[in-house]
Amino acid sequence: MTDVTGKKITIGHLYPDLLNLYGDRGNIACMMQRCIWRGIEAETIEFNTGDAIDFTKLDIVLLGGGSDREQAIVCRNLLEIQGRFKEYVEDNGVVIAVCGGYQLLGKYYKTNAGTIEGLDLVDIYTEQEEGRLIDNIVLQSDLADMPVVGFENHGGRTYINDNKPFGRVLYGSGNDGKSGYEGVVYKNVIGTYLHGPLLPKNPQVCDHLIRKALERRYGEAELEALDDCLEKRANAYIYNRFVK
Amino acid sequence: MRLRRMLAVWAAKITEKASVHIFHRQGVTWAGKIALRICPSILKELAGQVKKDIFIVCGTNGKTTTNNMLCAAIEAEGYRVVCNHTGSNMLNGVAAAFALSAGIGGNLNADYACIEIDEASTRRVFPHFKPDYMVLTNLFRDQLDRYGEIDITMNILREVMQSAPKMKVVVNGDDALSAFLAMDSGNEYITYGISEQVIDDRDSHEIREGRFCKRCGAPLQYRFYHYSQLGDYACTGCEFGRPRPDYDGADIEMGEGLAFTVEGRRLHADYKGFYNIYNILAAYAAVRTGGIDAGHFNAMLAGFNPENGRMEEFGIDGTKVVLNLAKNPAGFNQNISAVMQDETRKDVIIVINDNAQDGTDISWLWDVDFDRFKEANTECITVSGIRCYDMGLRLKYVDIPAMLEPDVEKAIRERIANGCGNLYVLVNYTALFGTRNVLKRLEGEK
Repeated sequence: MTDVTGKKITIGHLYPDLLNLYGDRGNIACMMQRCIWRGIEAETIEFNTGDAIDFTKLDIVLLGGGSDREQAIVCRNLLEIQGRFKEYVEDNGVVIAVCGGYQLLGKYYKTNAGTIEGLDLVDIYTEQEEGRLIDNIVLQSDLADMPVVGFENHGGRTYINDNKPFGRVLYGSGNDGKSGYEGVVYKNVIGTYLHGPLLPKNPQVCDHLIRKALERRYGEAELEALDDCLEKRANAYIYNRFVK
Repeated sequence: MRLRRMLAVWAAKITEKASVHIFHRQGVTWAGKIALRICPSILKELAGQVKKDIFIVCGTNGKTTTNNMLCAAIEAEGYRVVCNHTGSNMLNGVAAAFALSAGIGGNLNADYACIEIDEASTRRVFPHFKPDYMVLTNLFRDQLDRYGEIDITMNILREVMQSAPKMKVVVNGDDALSAFLAMDSGNEYITYGISEQVIDDRDSHEIREGRFCKRCGAPLQYRFYHYSQLGDYACTGCEFGRPRPDYDGADIEMGEGLAFTVEGRRLHADYKGFYNIYNILAAYAAVRTGGIDAGHFNAMLAGFNPENGRMEEFGIDGTKVVLNLAKNPAGFNQNISAVMQDETRKDVIIVINDNAQDGTDISWLWDVDFDRFKEANTECITVSGIRCYDMGLRLKYVDIPAMLEPDVEKAIRERIANGCGNLYVLVNYTALFGTRNVLKRLEGEK
């Protein structure tokens, strides 16, 4: 039994008033429950547009997906917090950015209606191209022994330069439909198009985020194993249906 | 072109007869496809033969119930109506509704048409005919994989409204998204809504669409919510706000059934679910906007049986079974409310598929407030269907244990045999037909 006394994870959910597509609440619920089931205290703080954010209080930041129009509204707010968000990332702060949130991590997202300036936290960029990439998706990732499964739905193609991808595409399109890779990993930041939501069917990715957050705050983290039977069945169902 | 149209009508009728019993709605779709293939102008020609007006019903939730109710209400006043009752609401389904209503001479004898149309398909239907009235029920997130985003759906609807400038829009004014669209389109619009607060909704964590003004981008402020984003809103940045309803549902009563007053008329219905007030109100507003008398509206409601898996009841071996369709978060949350209106002990089966017509992306399950089932006096929750594992996981993460049974018939038989005699079966779209057939068969067996 690992000693978790007094350990606590604080999750910052950024702009749920605008970025709340595709079951982001599932990612929050998953991180919260997997802490709570292990006796680790967990709290989620929602920051709506315009709220002040103290990044030093946060252990995991979740940036979710929104429509292009909503992303443009968010982007105005993001530029105000850019400096502190960047410090958090460089200080190994844990970030999980999904869909629109993933695009906002980069330098810009060029859409047909104009260019949305990004947070410039990771050296990547996104450009809208013809056709949306919509389907189930399966990856092989260094962050998990199990395949990583989810659903993608994006018009933007993301180019990650020399950064490390989140995974190699076994089924689906990924970042741009051509490179064979999906997402980006930079320090403790994961950016990905996978929703579904991402974490419940990929408990190892969730535990990776929790572990990194605990290590950063407490210097060490050993996570007690949980009964992931159902998670594994849901994951295997997608893998078997699309890859095998 | 009459001969060609006649051939198309015959072919449609034969196709439907031959296939609908085995393939259900798919059979209707094929009938329409074949009719259009033989006679590409059939929809335009037959729609042109409608003697009075054509109503269409659009909106994320409530299309089928509202449209069928509207049709029944007009029929109750003594008119002949063309209607796509089965809910086949894409171009082929719409064509089938007209072709199958035509006589073997290839002509239509109808006073009105009531047609529900899938929002994205309006673009393909409008070139064939311009409706006189569009009922717009609401806009919620639904099947994002198909439509991309709710903004895309709104753009399509704006485009078709503007392509038919004489079409009047009968709109749910309590939905800021729908109301904005109607106002912004330039078309004449008539509103319905509920001005009194019925449900204390402050503690709900429901995900709400469109919290920002579509006109100026400032946050909308709500005096109260009915459910989801439906409520009494006003923009904090500009003049946009909830229009005063032309048809206002007042003195709402909810218990065993539903009752409310509109235009001084007390309407009664025998169903549960707050959302049904909107369906009734929409149908009523459309009938009245069309200048049709509504003297038989209550009689219509008394006899109205959707028989399409919307709160449909079955009796199987001493168990009362209620089947209800739920295909997106707003609909599912309303369904859970309807289940909770029944305070007695109950079993629940949830069937989730991910076929193309359901939307292959099922992440919306995580936007439904399933934790409310903890307070719903449930004995057992079974998850079934193609994506039962995902549904099971969804419940696991709100600490609700669930029984897993991918096969729907087995899941139902198990609960009939071992359950508490009061069973709710909540299904998404493609699960509906199969589940309904199983229930009908089991009802017949006993």
